[in-house]
Amino acid sequence: MAKKYKPKKAKEDTPQMLKRKAKKLVIGIFLGALISGLCFTMLYPIFKLFPNVFSELTELGNPDVIWIPIERSLLSFKAAYRFIMTKGAMTMVYSLLYAVAIVFVQAFVSAMTGYALARIDFPGAKIIFMLVLFAFLVPPQALLLSQYIHFKNFDILGIISLLTGDTIDLINKPVTLFLLALLGFGVNQSLFVFIFRQFFKNTPKELEEAALIDGCGFHKTYFNIMLPNAKPAIATVAVLGFVWNYGDTYYTGYFHPDGPYLGSILTTTFQPANEYFITTAMREWYNLPATTSFVFDAVKQAGALIYMIPLLIVYFIAQKWLVENIENAGIVG
Amino acid sequence: MARQKMKYKNKRKLNGFLYTLPWIIGFIMFFAVPIVNTIIWSFSNVGVKETGGMELSPNGVMNYISLFTEQVTTDKQTFLQLFTDENVNLFINAPIIIIFSLFLAILANMNFKGRGFVRVIFFLPIVLGLDVITEMITVTTGGDLVAMRGTGIFSQGMAARLLIQYTSLDLDIILTVTSFVDNIFDLMSQAGVQVLIYLAGLQSISPSLYEVAKIEGATTYETFWKVTLPMIGNISVFVIVYTIVDIFLSSPIAEEVYAFAFQKSKIGVASALSVVYMLNVLLILLLVLFISRKAVKS
Repeated sequence: MAKKYKPKKAKEDTPQMLKRKAKKLVIGIFLGALISGLCFTMLYPIFKLFPNVFSELTELGNPDVIWIPIERSLLSFKAAYRFIMTKGAMTMVYSLLYAVAIVFVQAFVSAMTGYALARIDFPGAKIIFMLVLFAFLVPPQALLLSQYIHFKNFDILGIISLLTGDTIDLINKPVTLFLLALLGFGVNQSLFVFIFRQFFKNTPKELEEAALIDGCGFHKTYFNIMLPNAKPAIATVAVLGFVWNYGDTYYTGYFHPDGPYLGSILTTTFQPANEYFITTAMREWYNLPATTSFVFDAVKQAGALIYMIPLLIVYFIAQKWLVENIENAGIVG
Repeated sequence: MARQKMKYKNKRKLNGFLYTLPWIIGFIMFFAVPIVNTIIWSFSNVGVKETGGMELSPNGVMNYISLFTEQVTTDKQTFLQLFTDENVNLFINAPIIIIFSLFLAILANMNFKGRGFVRVIFFLPIVLGLDVITEMITVTTGGDLVAMRGTGIFSQGMAARLLIQYTSLDLDIILTVTSFVDNIFDLMSQAGVQVLIYLAGLQSISPSLYEVAKIEGATTYETFWKVTLPMIGNISVFVIVYTIVDIFLSSPIAEEVYAFAFQKSKIGVASALSVVYMLNVLLILLLVLFISRKAVKS
């Protein structure tokens, strides 16, 4: 008689296996605690804003409130909106458009430069690449003053003063910022040139050769074949460039101080010296009995939150492919 | 045929040059000329003419001497002190930021549930670390700035007290550890881009390397030292350079340049400060690159 087949019972846990399981569990708990702790630390400043900005303004400074305000109101946001949106909602639209436009220019120029430096062995290419790195290392502040004066009396090799009899003052004109980006010296642009150069260095040569055999000229190869293939690098530069340009107060603040850039407006409106002005305005506008510096802080933070919304939205949409892309973008290789 | 090829090659070179031309013009206009100007001004007495132009008269190294002997920062510090502080700060913070960002990247690279969410938070400093935002979310009322960033929580908390009371560790060590933990937000807010770069680097390591290590019976610890670290050596150089440049960019020295040039209208001194500052950054970078090249070779 054939032996009846007995399904094998799952092996009893040997002490060794138990030990391994326990070890895994302990490590898991440890890592879980560590990661959630780090996440909490990162988010803490934002969490800490909520009791301030959502609180009734007269209730601010109440020592009983730690996380959830007792009397809630959105007045801080309304006030912040009134302070920083000097042209209504258009201010934000304008800031966003500016950031998008300037990133477009930056990426376009950086990609061209990066491509030429990576793929074409023209005399001086190596030196130029060294200069790109050098330009990344030298802090913009060291050049600020001279650049400022340069734009104040803008001239190209004496041509403009020859034609019009005088130099032109480019300070406080948006064209200055675009000129900087167009000629490769916008916010962190040397880094972008570097990213593109690394990317094109790693794209296979066959791609270009195939295009050539198909009869594509130099420009056609670049714009129809190479550039569309550089999507990962473009995406990386676009996201970083958008965040940095939208968050930039340095270039906009010095070269176009009166421009409607939300970042600049935010920093100038809520500089510490303006505290009296803000608190007085709050009293006048909203009939508050007395206003303290708590009110100033709450409005300031509400402003910062409004300012951050587009950044966070772009960031959350972009983060999914940011890692994949930066990996393909070739900084790593 | 050969001639045609020559012609093609030359045309290609010309086109390549054309593609870099905007950058070259930009470099001359916005980089080379300003830098030469700054250097010239740093050796001159710069005045402003009544017509609005600038008046230069050479005065040797007087600006530099004045910078380090007479001038003080807005916080009434001497510049020697400021530079020393900044360099010490760099040598302490840069390694911590770099190691810490590698650590965060390794955590974010592990396989666990909710990894996507954790990554979102780990890169958040790219957004939160913007100067505008750190400036705006800090509070002006009564020194709450500390509480705002979550600093000071640990050193006043239970854990620190337990450490002091029930372990025989030296007080100095405990204080170093607690101050490190206290500043963890500052650290994280300076590590966003670095974490991103490291994470990309970790993901570009071929999984087969890890498989081989596993088959050979290497422990996790050995795998880290023998596989992971060597594979990310190259991007580490990039991360180090980025970190150093970034730390210098956010240093108070940069603000002083602005204060001297625009508020105190001492353009000569401001330029001298810029030059010293620039030399300082370059010197450190050269040093670091030299050391890392040696380390990579060995």
